[in-house]
Amino acid sequence: MKKKYLILLVLAAFFAACTDNFEDYNTDKKNPAIVAGESLFSNAEKSLSDHMSSSNVNVNVLKLFAQYWTETTYTDEANYDLINRGIPQQVFRDFYRGLLRDFQEATKIITETPATSAIGETEKQNKLAIIDLLVCYSYQQLVDIFGNVPYTEAMDVENVAPAYDDAATIYADLIDRVNAALTQLDDAQGSFGTADLIYSGDVAAWKKFGNSLKIKLGIGLADYDGGTLAKATVESAVAGAFGGIGDGAFFPYQTSSPNYNPLYDDLVTSGRNDFVAANTIVDIMNALQDPRRWAYFEEMAEGGFIGGVYGSTSPYALYSHLSDALHQPTLLGLFITYDQVLFYLAEGAARGYSVGGTEEELYNAAITASFELWGVPADSITSYLANPDVAWATAPGTWQEKIGTQAWLAFYARGLEGYTSWRRLDFPILNMPESITEYNEIPKRYTYPVNEQTLNKESWQAASDAIGGDEMVTPLFWDTAQPVPTK
Amino acid sequence: MKRITGMLVCLLLFGFTAIFAQDIQIRGTVTASEDGSALPGVYVKIKGTNAGTATDFEGKFQLTVASNATLVFSSIGYKDQEVALAGQSVLDVVLEQDVTQVDEVVVTALGITREKKSLGYATQEVTGDEISTVKSSNFINSLSGKVAGVNVKANGNMGGSTNIIIRGSKSLTGNNQALFVIDGVPVDNSNTNNAGQRTGRSGYDYGNAAADINPNDIESINILKGAAASALYGARAANGVVIITTKKGAAKQNKALGVSINSNVTWSKIDKSTFPEYQDQFGGGYGPFYSGGAHPGLEEFDLDGDGTDDLVVPFYEDASYGEKFDPSLMVYQWDAMVPESPNYGKKTPWVASKNGPDKFFETGVTLTNGIDINGGSDKSSFRLAYTNFDQKGIMPNSKLIKNNITFNGSYNVMPNLKISASANYVNTKGKGRNSTGYSDNIMTSFRQWYQVNVDMDMLEELYAKTGRNVTWNPTYYDDPVPLYWDSPYWVRFKNYQTDERNRLIGYVQADWKATDWLSFMGRVAVDTYSELQEERKAVGSVAGELGVDRPDVTSGYSRYDRTYLETNMDLMANFRKDLTDKININGLLGVNIRNQKVDRVFASTNGGLSVPDVYALSNSIDPMLPPDELNSTVAMNGYFGSLSLGYNNMLFLDGTYRIDQSSTLPSGNWTYGYPSVSGSFLFSELVDANWLQLGKLRLNYAEVGNDAPWASTSDVYDPVAPFAGNPMVSVPITKNNADLKPERTKSIEAGLELSFLQGRAGIDLALYKQNTINQILPVTISLATGYSSKYINAGEIENKGVELQLTGTPVKLNEFAWDITVNWAKNVNKVVELKEGITNLQLGSLQGGITINARVGEPYGTIQGTDFQYVNGQRLVRANGYYRRSTTSDKVIGNINPDWTGGVLNAFTYKNLRFSFLIDIQHGGDLFSLDQWYGQATGLYKESVANNDLGNPVRNQVYTDYGDATTPMLDNPGGIINEGVYADGTTNTLRVEGGDYRFKGYVYWPNSVYIYDASYVKLREVVLTYNLPSQLMAKTFMSAASVSFVGSNLWIMSKNLPYADPEASQSSGNIQGWQGGTLPATRNFGISLNVQF
Repeated sequence: MKKKYLILLVLAAFFAACTDNFEDYNTDKKNPAIVAGESLFSNAEKSLSDHMSSSNVNVNVLKLFAQYWTETTYTDEANYDLINRGIPQQVFRDFYRGLLRDFQEATKIITETPATSAIGETEKQNKLAIIDLLVCYSYQQLVDIFGNVPYTEAMDVENVAPAYDDAATIYADLIDRVNAALTQLDDAQGSFGTADLIYSGDVAAWKKFGNSLKIKLGIGLADYDGGTLAKATVESAVAGAFGGIGDGAFFPYQTSSPNYNPLYDDLVTSGRNDFVAANTIVDIMNALQDPRRWAYFEEMAEGGFIGGVYGSTSPYALYSHLSDALHQPTLLGLFITYDQVLFYLAEGAARGYSVGGTEEELYNAAITASFELWGVPADSITSYLANPDVAWATAPGTWQEKIGTQAWLAFYARGLEGYTSWRRLDFPILNMPESITEYNEIPKRYTYPVNEQTLNKESWQAASDAIGGDEMVTPLFWDTAQPVPTK
Repeated sequence: MKRITGMLVCLLLFGFTAIFAQDIQIRGTVTASEDGSALPGVYVKIKGTNAGTATDFEGKFQLTVASNATLVFSSIGYKDQEVALAGQSVLDVVLEQDVTQVDEVVVTALGITREKKSLGYATQEVTGDEISTVKSSNFINSLSGKVAGVNVKANGNMGGSTNIIIRGSKSLTGNNQALFVIDGVPVDNSNTNNAGQRTGRSGYDYGNAAADINPNDIESINILKGAAASALYGARAANGVVIITTKKGAAKQNKALGVSINSNVTWSKIDKSTFPEYQDQFGGGYGPFYSGGAHPGLEEFDLDGDGTDDLVVPFYEDASYGEKFDPSLMVYQWDAMVPESPNYGKKTPWVASKNGPDKFFETGVTLTNGIDINGGSDKSSFRLAYTNFDQKGIMPNSKLIKNNITFNGSYNVMPNLKISASANYVNTKGKGRNSTGYSDNIMTSFRQWYQVNVDMDMLEELYAKTGRNVTWNPTYYDDPVPLYWDSPYWVRFKNYQTDERNRLIGYVQADWKATDWLSFMGRVAVDTYSELQEERKAVGSVAGELGVDRPDVTSGYSRYDRTYLETNMDLMANFRKDLTDKININGLLGVNIRNQKVDRVFASTNGGLSVPDVYALSNSIDPMLPPDELNSTVAMNGYFGSLSLGYNNMLFLDGTYRIDQSSTLPSGNWTYGYPSVSGSFLFSELVDANWLQLGKLRLNYAEVGNDAPWASTSDVYDPVAPFAGNPMVSVPITKNNADLKPERTKSIEAGLELSFLQGRAGIDLALYKQNTINQILPVTISLATGYSSKYINAGEIENKGVELQLTGTPVKLNEFAWDITVNWAKNVNKVVELKEGITNLQLGSLQGGITINARVGEPYGTIQGTDFQYVNGQRLVRANGYYRRSTTSDKVIGNINPDWTGGVLNAFTYKNLRFSFLIDIQHGGDLFSLDQWYGQATGLYKESVANNDLGNPVRNQVYTDYGDATTPMLDNPGGIINEGVYADGTTNTLRVEGGDYRFKGYVYWPNSVYIYDASYVKLREVVLTYNLPSQLMAKTFMSAASVSFVGSNLWIMSKNLPYADPEASQSSGNIQGWQGGTLPATRNFGISLNVQF
């Protein structure tokens, strides 16, 4: 009998040891399951700034594409090679999977969190509108990089084959969304507070940002479909847009890792010497005796500025390096700046839009704002503007060449803005790199990520057909001007 | 744990007590009936115990036993014989040959011993000697070529991980490594290498945890290859099981303890066929771009200020497409810039270095010393063993030390109740493991980015003199900061990693024989370890990946702490009954409760080290990034049963069923069951043929389930470092799934075993097909969804294959025998389905734009990258004479799976001498060589100075104006005309220059060119053993002794991959087929001494 009890006891002990609180076992206790929407928003703002600021050759090579810089030894990206490193995929990753996903989740959580007061409700609506402004800002970048992209069906994990939307339609919708957000913003109350790393939740500042974004979106459409929507959009936003250099949207990078400007990683902590000034910009600036050269680049020991031949091997020691300002950890991330808005308005004026000034006034104001942004002494502005190759009345070429050249110079270190300005206005004349491998002209867009061909093939195929082929030389819908002459 | 320790102490005491009991001593000789020859190695067991001894080389034995004991004599190939002592003290025993050889007993799932003939599935045994004679830091390496269908790939890293795949990869994204089980206890085989390491970015290979198993402790290994064999283990055994039986104690003559000592020393030298052969005609640079004068490959400026221009090497470049060597050219080289250098401020002749990177390597030395003490009585037995393994690697400042103590013992508390316990403590310490992958790896420099004018001895001398990071690759002549490459000596002596793992594997087990047909077994087992991996980068190094999120830093420290605990509780009832004379049944019912816990923290300094040479988290310049923490717990309850039916020793039928409950599945789906059924038919029982001793057919069908990865059923957020006091989080890249179902492997297998010519020849053939369906996988989805991947149940992989083992004894004379064993296996793997609409699943993305993939309709592990573009089947050439490559990297350019693998083992025995050698073969399988991809573009290798189609040196300048085809062509032009056509179909006739980085390699060529066939034929092992004659031994205090000369990896007899070992890789795991910056293989020579007392 004893034995039987013993067996029963052992069996009982065994079954007691069988676990049944399985759900607890399968819970990740080291990572939060519930978070505040604000913490997702903060992270998304930083992710967006990080992507734009970076010059990591795996992430953002547009500072090369715009021909501000060239590469020293490993020149693939300067030769418009996107394939070797799968860069388009990284762009999708940074935008859709990174910042847009976090913006979307922030929107969801903030929407679901009930406000406890009327003020709270206003703040909540302000937060949602601010998020939407940045989402619109992000989508414009995606369109400007690729053309048609997933938009209405994007950001839905249940739909693993999202369709691509027509780029012009996306633009129009973004303008509508910005208008709606502007209506929703109520600057009688605050919003995110310090969780907003750009404006510390200042709703009035965001309203100016929204109007400036409208100008940016509107001007993008200037050459498309007769420019009707462009004109209306720009004109309706002039009054509410940035009114001074301090209104611009900047990201305040910190001194230490991982919150310093990603450029600091690329240029300083990496210990590499991958980039020097490109001859494209240096030659133009030298010809104009542009005082911003000292802000943009480092003077050679023997004096003067020399740019490496764009796309060719350029030993680091032989060419002008990037300026000390770019080597600072706290270098500001730039979203939209005042000089940028002024260049758009100058262009609007040149196109006959009613933007509260003449093209010449706005052109001069834009250059002045650029000098201010880069901290170039004010006394040098007057002489620069008097330079016959700069002065509106005497500078060579059409208004496209004048504004195109100066805007491109001002957008230095903002790869996408410089590249876009060149694509839209076709000036200045960029260099055809000697070693470009796949094309006989300077590329005008990114190809879609290779992943899309395998994971979302039908949508990719439809989008490729719609834009005229998934090639780097396919112009975007707003890039309707003549083919670009090259040197 | 305390309880287990207490138990061990008791057993130890009991064991010694038993040894001092009083008995009589007997001795005798065992001979064979067929020719009267002495039979060595016959097992002499005291009936009713596990105690006993074995005969020596003259068939003699001595044993101390109770005077009324019965002895059982057994030897493979002979019938067992029982002899009752009845007071005799001298016994001469004649064993009769057992021509049917069907009584072989093997250990199967859950430690159940079965007669091999009754099994309806394939297993293959390897003895302990076969894997312990040749010493390796990872015993799995010693299985290579010895078992059909087991694909072992040792990657060559010091203490590195070894890939072991049985019958092909079955899981798309999960673990495909075999399960290891020691004495019934599952042993963890985690690979803790981080994702960056496994995808060839950077990092160290910390090995796989099964490497802790000490080969000296292994009595035998049995490999369960198919699902039917392993179904009782449940989910985790879907990939096959390596069942290890350890050595146990046995009673010895003269009541003495059996003591044996094993000592081995092995020397390792690099195999030159796996190391680059450098060109010696051109020095550092990327082409003739550095000056406009007569020496365009060198910089020309007035460095010493004497008013005339000097020639300066562009030492900031890491390639060898520079100026042609000319001893009469006096140039400033890197060492002229170092004040401590004998060449400081001096010009030196422009010549190739006599001391190339091969000088960097040292002779590796491995010492293995072990002692084994065992003993026993009719009631108890024990074994205590200690092994010290001490390896000095081929790279300077590298060391791997393992200390392994094992104790096992058993005690018969009552005649029908046995308690046994085992404890195995392993301490592993590594220092200076070699870096792997592309980044921050000395081998990447030696194989891809280097100047052949650099003198290794000078680098060594200057590091020794200065203690500084004096590199051949400074930023510029006036800036000594290293640009891309540190001094390799600095890296080895300052930036070394260290690691330590302390592990305890043990169990306590009770076996109770309740009646003659029913027995119970209960066991509690634990496998636990803690490990610490520390990585360092000294202040002043080139920026490299280190720490959390692996940013590039110029100094830093990281530590990775991980503890692992697995407990298994098993309770089983076994029954065995003869229903009639002819029909017997046996079976079992059991419960297994498994708990697994992993706790890990990975933390690092951020932004560099404040104080040099202090490697502590507190020494971080910037606030630390959030550490990567994980605390996972998995529980599994398994309930299982099996029933076997035997008829007349001729027909056997087995059925098993297991139900698992797994905590990693959602509540509705966490219970699942799966069956197996197998049968064997010994048709030789019906055939009365003299030549056929055994004929058996096997057939089985099995299903195995598998659960989900931990915490994949609900979502959490990823914490991000706070920004200026603001908390930040992000949505993870993978969407989890609350509706996951268990995945399932279905397998069918048939086999044939034949033994004929009186056991002199044997065949074992197996055919199988396995399909794994409903796989739980984080399937890659369009990034436009906002995620990279989401967990779903989808996908199917099919593995079909043939395994063949042939054994034979072509020659058997009185004192000479030749045995041969051949293993051959072919596995055909196919990804049948992923998910509707998805045709490709990326497993890993590697440097060079290569991806390893599971692609529908292709074998698992396609290598994808760029290829040429083609016009009418001809390669498309651009107007400038270089190739145009595909604009996408999704071309299938290779696949990692070998066509077949095999091994041939020959063993010759003459008197006391035994000589054996193993040839290990892999046929087919591809790999991408990053070394060639880059190295061919940097002009390191000797092909880059070969003659071209015109018989001229290929680097001769082609055009008057270098590279400008519009200028006239020079006499005796170098370069090549790339074979192919222009877009309009006309043939390319344009000659391109061969003197710069564009000539070959990554710049203009597609990935497909650098895919190589990974086939090899290796002389894997050679062993010559001499057993000292027992007459000699009798005069000494030793009872047996042998000396062995062993060699491993002595000769790669055939391979197609240049300058590297096709087996080399970065890590074990699913991402194979890519190679970059691997260590050269080593040839290993050793001497082993074994002495028994």
